[in-house]
Amino acid sequence: MKIDIKKIDSGEDEVILRYKEVTPKIKRILDALNGENNRLVGRKDDKQVVVDTGEILYIESVDDKTFAYTEGDVVRVDNTLQGITEELDDIKFFRCSKSMIINVDKVRVLKSLSSNRIDATLENGEHILISRTYASDFRKLLKGGAPRE
Amino acid sequence: MSKKNNKLTLWERYLTKEIGIEFKACLYFFAILFFYCVYQMFQGVFEASMLHMAEMILSCYIIGYVQVYCYKNFDEADSLGVSEWMGIIACTCFYTLLSYFLKWFDKNWWWTLGFMVYVIFMYVCVYFIYKSKRRIDDKKLNEDLRLFQAGHKSSEDKES
Repeated sequence: MKIDIKKIDSGEDEVILRYKEVTPKIKRILDALNGENNRLVGRKDDKQVVVDTGEILYIESVDDKTFAYTEGDVVRVDNTLQGITEELDDIKFFRCSKSMIINVDKVRVLKSLSSNRIDATLENGEHILISRTYASDFRKLLKGGAPRE
Repeated sequence: MSKKNNKLTLWERYLTKEIGIEFKACLYFFAILFFYCVYQMFQGVFEASMLHMAEMILSCYIIGYVQVYCYKNFDEADSLGVSEWMGIIACTCFYTLLSYFLKWFDKNWWWTLGFMVYVIFMYVCVYFIYKSKRRIDDKKLNEDLRLFQAGHKSSEDKES
């Protein structure tokens, strides 16, 4: 893909995207431009709802169903945890166990536990356990290094 | 995030536990050796038996396994509950019996009893050392969390 970036001194900022077909890369760019990365589409009481990803406390997979939890709401998401991680593509969403992703921005306090586990207290007071398997990646993430990809 | 890379392999899990046991064996061996040396000095002997030292390190290694696999690694526990105290008492009894039958203190009851109390004290001290280590770790973790959240927020603000 040819990329042409120009810095201008005056006039309005402009992005022109020319494509023949919507490839995954183009889709990601379009989503980023449309701000789609900041939204997650789910269902609640058979109605489609859109959740601002900044409001999500954690996402959990229970019996092959995925739920996104906000301060006062639970929304069912039609995607797997792996799919959501790729869709959101945001470092603040961390896979903290086999069945859960937490929003690091919504963590209030962390507590170091035995066997190198970490207890994360979220803004709503819920406690999430970051298992030993994921704790070292979590520490790396906090220290500014990206977790193992 | 690939699932394959993210998970610790069985070998890595085993190695982590094994290193933990090795570390414990060394830690407790030196603590026990200190008590043994004190006993020897009280007897007017300024040498330590190599056989006794070999027995001690082997005992520490075996009891380390017992501690980790049967008693849930009680010295690293978050709090000292009933099961942790059971582990402390059981392992202390193992050490005491070994010290008696292997004649580390020449089957002297008073020194053996003293050794028993010393082992309990040693376990409690190690528990508090691990606890304070975790408390320091809490501070570091929360500091890193605040930095991460501040950095992440400012980069989001820039993007918007």
